[in-house]
Amino acid sequence: MGTFFEPSLIFTSIPKLLSYLHITIEILVLSVALGLLLGILIAVPKLYNVPILKEIMTVYISFIRGTPILIQLFLVFYGLPVVVGLFGVDITRMDPFYFVIITYTLSNAAAFAEIFRAAIKSVDYGQTEAAYSVGFTAWQNFYRIVFPQAIRVAFPNIANTSISSLKDTSLAFSIGVMDMMGRGDTLISATAHALEIYLALSVIYYVIVLIFERCFKWIERYLNRYILKEESSL
Amino acid sequence: MIQLSNIHKSFGKTEVLKGINMQVNKGDIISILGPSGSGKTTLLRCINFLEKANEGSIAIDDIALDVKHATKKDIVALRKKTAMVFQSYNLFQHKTVLQNITEGLVVVQKKSEKEAIEIAKTMLAKIGLEHKADAYPSALSGGQQQRVGIARALALNPEVILFDEPTSALDPELVGEVLDVIRKIAKEGITMIIVTHEMNFARDISNRIVFMDGGVVVEEGSPRDVFNNPKHDRTKQFLRRLTPEYTYEI
Ligand SMILES: Nc1ncnc2c1ncn2[C@@H]1O[C@H](COP(=O)(O)OP(=O)(O)OP(=O)(O)O)[C@@H](O)[C@H]1O
Ligand SMILES: [Mg+2]
Repeated sequence: MGTFFEPSLIFTSIPKLLSYLHITIEILVLSVALGLLLGILIAVPKLYNVPILKEIMTVYISFIRGTPILIQLFLVFYGLPVVVGLFGVDITRMDPFYFVIITYTLSNAAAFAEIFRAAIKSVDYGQTEAAYSVGFTAWQNFYRIVFPQAIRVAFPNIANTSISSLKDTSLAFSIGVMDMMGRGDTLISATAHALEIYLALSVIYYVIVLIFERCFKWIERYLNRYILKEESSL
Repeated sequence: MIQLSNIHKSFGKTEVLKGINMQVNKGDIISILGPSGSGKTTLLRCINFLEKANEGSIAIDDIALDVKHATKKDIVALRKKTAMVFQSYNLFQHKTVLQNITEGLVVVQKKSEKEAIEIAKTMLAKIGLEHKADAYPSALSGGQQQRVGIARALALNPEVILFDEPTSALDPELVGEVLDVIRKIAKEGITMIIVTHEMNFARDISNRIVFMDGGVVVEEGSPRDVFNNPKHDRTKQFLRRLTPEYTYEI
């Protein structure tokens, strides 16, 4: 343990930590992208009231919501090899990185599914009827009319969930993934200065979050381009 | 030509349409009148399967469907022959005025973007909204939105345009501009079925009036016959209530 505070260590450790930034970003981008896809699939049975599947999805979503992500991470890390082992597949030596991706994808998907469901429901059904009256198929209506508008409604929530997810990636280190946190841990061991390293890490996470928030704001503004001050059109 | 035969429709236990027969010839402009709840909207929606009738058959042009056995493909094919103008406009909110019109042309009719835009511009000229081509629906007045709704329907060049109370969501001062647009396109020989509570408009524009009550067609005929010389008591009552100042021969 270091005995006194050494501010310069904050600045010298930042580049060292940043060299592992790509791992954090990879985890985030993959788990958000896959989570979005899976989230849509999970939302569908609930939207269209598919029996049985709908109940399974409800339980799934509520389980993910009701348990800490760290526990989910360990459940996947220790549990998945057991489950696939039953089918004769050995993944005990799989890179922990993939367990992280799987866990965060599953977790994000549950959150995104609920976001999508509410957003899709919020699109006025009259437009769907208009699309049908023109001769659209259900699929054409979904991807040309409903989905683009649902995305607008869903986006701010998707953005928030993604930012939480970015912060959660710092837990990947608990199952041995060498990301910024992992690198931070080795730096702490090497320098015996924990506070400086954690300060450096918090600066990095905070700046990334700020950058993301700024980007999300731009996207949001674009998605809202067709929404006018309601008052003026009345 | 459009032929509706024996259309029945129930919601739960209530039968809303009790065997409707109707023939519509090319170029007909038919107004459907009737008291609230008589099934006018439901009938219109059964024609393009927004509501699936329980029984009966629908024929439009070369497509004839027994509603009970209509497949998804049949339904889409039938819808391609029709277009609808909705009470609440139902414009695609995320598309510009121009895109609202080109959307169906490109997606359903597989026209090229260029051709679709050309058609859309012609339609916009017709409804007097060329200058709003790039506006979003939320920036338009109700009357303007409904005119776009009409242009969207018209652009598809359908066998028939179905209008469900196209002006009843509008502020009174905006009704005129929409009725004028419908009058204008009526002159082009497009087949139209219009559900409306605008009696004077219906009388001027239609070549046939259909009066519905309680899920059946009570009476139909030329506007003169139905307005000046209604045969059924229910028609008389309805007209008396709606147009108290209007005198007809008994
Ligand atoms: N989706 C539905 N579910 C249940 N009942 C319905 C539904 N749609 C219509 N109805 C009922 O069917 C009857 C006929 O309704 P419809 O909308 O066709 O009447 P309408 O003649 O268009 O009346 P209005 O002049 O008020 O528009 C009404 O009693 C209505 O309550
Ligand atoms: Mg109605």
